[in-house]
Amino acid sequence: MEARDAARLLAQAQRKARRDLDFRSPRLSLLAASVVLVGLGAIWLSVRSQHPYRGPTPAGLAVLYALVAIRIITVIAAHRRASAGVSGRSVARRRAEGVAVGVALVAVYVFMGALAKMGASDAVVYGTYAITAPLIVLGALWAGRSAIHEDWPMFTSAIAIVLVAAGSAFAGPRGVWLADAIGCCVVLLAYSASQAWLRRAR
Amino acid sequence: MAPDVLDPLIHVPARLQIMATLAALPDGDALSFTRLQDLIGLTPGNLITHLRKLEDADYLASEKTGSGPASRTSVALTQRGRAALNTYTETLRGMLNGI
Repeated sequence: MEARDAARLLAQAQRKARRDLDFRSPRLSLLAASVVLVGLGAIWLSVRSQHPYRGPTPAGLAVLYALVAIRIITVIAAHRRASAGVSGRSVARRRAEGVAVGVALVAVYVFMGALAKMGASDAVVYGTYAITAPLIVLGALWAGRSAIHEDWPMFTSAIAIVLVAAGSAFAGPRGVWLADAIGCCVVLLAYSASQAWLRRAR
Repeated sequence: MAPDVLDPLIHVPARLQIMATLAALPDGDALSFTRLQDLIGLTPGNLITHLRKLEDADYLASEKTGSGPASRTSVALTQRGRAALNTYTETLRGMLNGI
């Protein structure tokens, strides 16, 4: 085998292994962007003409939850496919990360219940807080994880999500849903494009 | 160009693929024999032969868990194997830059 052939074979094997062992893909990110745009957009449509603000309607929530369920199922399926046959330290680490995300989300919604009990308005509890707090917490967790793994495109996207969520709070309880729908969709589309570009470049 | 300076243990298409595939895993992770076979596309007999050569050189470690039909063999690169692949890659890069 000539050196040039060896270099080509090595690059091909590395590219194939990275792709096959990594569940993330531009397509999955594209799906996430669609879920965010349509799901949060549906909530915005359900609250935009409420005066006074009462919060998302059951129909709006049903659309959002259905889309989130589809997203979760596709991620689990892709993850199972990619991690089939893999064992070791990263498996335990991923489980711990899942626990951290789950606990953080539960804490966000427990805090939301406390806000409602303390008499905070529906506009704060079921509007601004309901969407910005989970996005800020998830974005911050994801940014920390990405920094540890030196995944800089993901890190940049996670930080952008945190900034979009924080900034969207100024749009008020109705506008916050639309601002996050568009802002997060743009961030996820940019991430998907960066993934596609990196895959071609490697 | 005769690549005599390249590690002859790695400089074989099937073994180069095995090493590159295992190196894509995070440090401390292992891959099952069947998944490795699926990723590389070698026959079981061929794969076992190459794995044995790499294991004899301490480039990879294998572990068998369970027994009978439920048994599972996992393979992982050792530190020595990772270092050998890095050296191989650097040598290859140097050779190609020199052309």
